[in-house]
Amino acid sequence: MAGLMAALVLTGTLYSALSPAHATEEAIQSESSAEAAGRELYERSCITCHGENLEGVPTRGPSLIGAGEAAVYFQVHTGRMPLVRQEAQAPDKPAIFNDEEIDQLMAYIQANGGGPTLPSGDLRDGDLAEGGELFRLNCAQCHNFVGEGGALSSGKRAPSLEDANDLEIYSAMLSGPENMPIFGDNQLTPEEKRSIINYIQTVKEQADPGGAGIGRIGPVAEGVVIWVVGVAALLFGIFWMGSKA
Amino acid sequence: MSAPHTTPGSTGGSETPGPLHGGPDEEYTPERLATMTREELDLLGARYDGVQVLHVDPAPEPGSRVEKAAVRQVAMTFALAGLSAFAAFVVYAGSGWFLPDWQWDITEGGWSALFTPLIGGLGGLALTLVGVGMVLFTKKLLPHETAVQDKHDGSHFDRVTTGASLMGGLNTYGLARRKLITRSLVFMGGGVGLMLLMPLGGLIRNPNVGNPLGTTSWTEGMRLLRGDGSPIRPGDQQPGSLETVFPAVPGGNLESDAATMLIRLRPEQVSLERPREGQDDFGYGDYVAYSKICTHAGCPVSLYEQETSRILCPCHQSQFDVTQGAKPVFGPATRPLPQLPITVDDEGFFVARSDYIEAVGPTYWNRERI
Repeated sequence: MAGLMAALVLTGTLYSALSPAHATEEAIQSESSAEAAGRELYERSCITCHGENLEGVPTRGPSLIGAGEAAVYFQVHTGRMPLVRQEAQAPDKPAIFNDEEIDQLMAYIQANGGGPTLPSGDLRDGDLAEGGELFRLNCAQCHNFVGEGGALSSGKRAPSLEDANDLEIYSAMLSGPENMPIFGDNQLTPEEKRSIINYIQTVKEQADPGGAGIGRIGPVAEGVVIWVVGVAALLFGIFWMGSKA
Repeated sequence: MSAPHTTPGSTGGSETPGPLHGGPDEEYTPERLATMTREELDLLGARYDGVQVLHVDPAPEPGSRVEKAAVRQVAMTFALAGLSAFAAFVVYAGSGWFLPDWQWDITEGGWSALFTPLIGGLGGLALTLVGVGMVLFTKKLLPHETAVQDKHDGSHFDRVTTGASLMGGLNTYGLARRKLITRSLVFMGGGVGLMLLMPLGGLIRNPNVGNPLGTTSWTEGMRLLRGDGSPIRPGDQQPGSLETVFPAVPGGNLESDAATMLIRLRPEQVSLERPREGQDDFGYGDYVAYSKICTHAGCPVSLYEQETSRILCPCHQSQFDVTQGAKPVFGPATRPLPQLPITVDDEGFFVARSDYIEAVGPTYWNRERI
């Protein structure tokens, strides 16, 4: 009897010492204020799909353990998250959270499982020509020659890079959002990533020498427009002259 | 002076006509022609060409208000055409192509974005105004006449005489007599003809000697290199990534049939993976390597959707599932992308275990059937 009693007491003590509730409490106590604020935001806006402990919810949202602050920055800063509804792909929209709130969310996610972190310094500090080459080898197949974007399968698409800032492009390469492959630092070094960003942003800022850009898809498209519109106008003129005569 | 060269209209010509030989010259002597006005001469010539003027709307009265207005209009149009043309030239010259010391300042978002449209627009405007001016000139300042011209029907006489003059030309060349020229012409024709047919040679030769369509540069132990020539270790890529790799031969990254996609699968993809029969060991760990050349029309497929495990071909939307041996799941492609067997060498870099075991790229006529 005494032995059973002792066992019960021991179990109870062990339980109280090792129970998850206690562990969570301890974790919360060790949180910085930014992480705590991030947790609050998470529990208000993200928990439905990503779960109570960032473990994800089947058919709704993936686990965020190990996603890292780079993924948070990209998804939240481009307005893709929080998601309005489940569809083929999360569309970008005006960001819901401000920069301070995004920092807090990043701190919370980063503190739980780590993951790719945001870079610092000048993100355009790279070789322009090399960036162009790397862009055409790694990015152009989906995002088009100058980042105009394009269609993928079943309603998905590679977005245009027109509105993307340096940090969004960098964090997208690092975290591989949605269907985009991940380009880790051993595949594209930080210098190479900076070269690519330099190329994208430089090309975007260039004037369209032909006037209308027509999606920057090149002189062929502009030529087609000239032929179709110009020749149609000429034919119209010829018919008009013929009918007058 | 011999007779044929004194007839007016024949080669040579003469200020003073010689003996006349019938036709209008007999009826209209130089003296008579000299008494006629320019208009009369014009009508007379037209009549001899079978042209009959039915009706003439005269041009506006010289010096009249209507004429002055029309002149101003036409002159204004031509002046504007010249102005546009000069403006187009100034814009064009300002690009600094032939005046190195003087050129337009090119600023971001400035008018330089309109450089090409300005040249095109001004040049087009100039040419359009030239046309408009000429049309205005004829419509407003010239008399309008309605005329009828007889149509000649070729008679037997015409055919025989024309044939005779053509044969006369051939006789003048004297080719029947000057055999050397004829022979050299035949030789020249043969050479030039052969030169034009030359490109057909490639269609005659069998291009399939040594199975060039069925093999690539990949061999056993050949390293997989990035586009910049660096080798790859298994730790270099994150799960859910793709790298285009090339064989380690000189110019390997320019070989259009050897481009290969090295894909590292995510753990969820690995658990779903079902390689093709007999190709279970072609991957290495969570890495698989597939040909980048679409089996439908040979476009580069590397629109890799790492979440849905699909590889999309941008040309005709064929889709391949990387977790099922890259078998086609949508679109016109009928064969899976060939898989490159890979492993790691003793220095820890990825190498091929052999060439592709089947032909990469589109199906061709004598390729082994599926």
